[in-house]
Amino acid sequence: MKIAAYRLIFLAGLIALWWLASTMVERNLVPSPWATLLAARQLIAEGRLGGALLDSISIYLGGYAIAILVGIPIGLIMGTMRTLGKTLEIFVYALSATPRVAFIPLIIVFLGLGAQAKILIIFLGAVMPILINTYAGAQNADQELIEMARSVGARRRRIFGSIILPGAVPFILVGLRVGATIGLINTVVAELYTAVKGLGGLLAIYGNTFRMAEYFVIVLTLAMIGVIVTEALRFLETRLGRWRRSDVVV
Amino acid sequence: MIVSNAPLQHGTTGGPETAPHRIVLDGVCKTFGAGDKAAGTVALKDVNLSVRDKSFISLLGPSGCGKTTILRIVNGLIKPDSGKVLISGAEPRPGPNMGFVFQSFRLIPWSTIRGNIEFALVESIKDKAERQERADRYIDLVGLSRFANAYPSELSGGMRQRVALARALATEPDILLMDEPFASIDAQTRELMQLELMRLWSARQSVALFVTHSVDEAILLADQVVLMGPRPGRILEVIDVGLERPRWKYDIRAEKRFIELRAYLWDRIRTLVLTDPESDFYGRDLGNGS
Repeated sequence: MKIAAYRLIFLAGLIALWWLASTMVERNLVPSPWATLLAARQLIAEGRLGGALLDSISIYLGGYAIAILVGIPIGLIMGTMRTLGKTLEIFVYALSATPRVAFIPLIIVFLGLGAQAKILIIFLGAVMPILINTYAGAQNADQELIEMARSVGARRRRIFGSIILPGAVPFILVGLRVGATIGLINTVVAELYTAVKGLGGLLAIYGNTFRMAEYFVIVLTLAMIGVIVTEALRFLETRLGRWRRSDVVV
Repeated sequence: MIVSNAPLQHGTTGGPETAPHRIVLDGVCKTFGAGDKAAGTVALKDVNLSVRDKSFISLLGPSGCGKTTILRIVNGLIKPDSGKVLISGAEPRPGPNMGFVFQSFRLIPWSTIRGNIEFALVESIKDKAERQERADRYIDLVGLSRFANAYPSELSGGMRQRVALARALATEPDILLMDEPFASIDAQTRELMQLELMRLWSARQSVALFVTHSVDEAILLADQVVLMGPRPGRILEVIDVGLERPRWKYDIRAEKRFIELRAYLWDRIRTLVLTDPESDFYGRDLGNGS
């Protein structure tokens, strides 16, 4: 709980700095915290923030969910089938090193500017870290435990289900967390580059018209989504990793 | 004195002379190929060994003499390049009929102690309640009842090894394979674990193959000590221990037979190590290796 108190103190410091900046920077380029709060109230009351949030969250979760459904199985298959994994891994690494933003014009040509194109852009960003981490997790399966399982007579399916998959879970969760962050970034990128909608759309509108208080509301909303998603995944991590605690209870 | 010819290499071991041979190795050879860690190492060369039912066998020898490889072949985890292996008259197959205690415990870290023991029982006991009952009985047998729901990371090294032992015993196997099970626990715990193992084994006798580096441990536990030599891994001699059981009832280390056996085996092993060019101690003058 001490950490929570320190975090609050740090947050208060940040807000103070923000306020200081708003008084010093000219031409109202930095809105004051108070003005931002008022703008937030207004945006919520008008339903604009809610609508944009819904737009963004739905395409974000759509793209992210498909990335999970594709990334984890492919990673597991590559990690358990050695030859296939070694064959494909170089292509996976090549694709993950290519900035996925480079595909946006192509995606627009094929899918237009609608939700499908956006979901694909999010998917492409989120799937790579999920796939690569799952692959690493399955590959790093404990060979000694696998041999132990074989010696008690376990078949492939049980070895996979009770040794390889649980052993890969910590890796998969790291992949999910990184994927969630990149997915969120790509959500905004997608909304800026395709049909201007959602939070990214509002960002563009308010940015271009110098309505800085509203602009800040959107930025803070995005930051909050990031915090909520990663904290939820972190919570999942500690729940699933209870067996790691090493304090001996006698 | 190095025994090098076939008659002595072929060891027949076991309790009562009439007991059937539970394990038969006939001319077993195993080479780990260039793809493996030890490129082209001859792990076992022409190993012949017949083990009678209900006997406790120690496999003793310096590093690299293929002791662990024998266990893995007997368990059916790896196949020999040539030669025949018969377990109760059939091909070796891993499963509940054999219990394997590994040197590094090999407990599943995300399963509780009970879960770890149940893991070995899945193939043989289909009923869940019965499986749990059996697991709990064996957890109790090694004195860890209050840790049944704990995770391995909460246990000390000695406790973890007791769990590994309970897991191997829980399927009530005909054959118990142990690969230096006490090598990584402290000396005191180790002595207690040796007594514990003797107690557990005498309660339900099965064939036990026990790999060890320790001469004392080999004699203390076994009916027969199988002495092995390195490069290529082979059986040099099979020695009857001939000390009365139960051995925790008297000070076995003070017995004349124990002292003689230990002196003899130590001498053999020292010679093996000092004459092995691959050994760290090759050619050194370490006492009277006569």
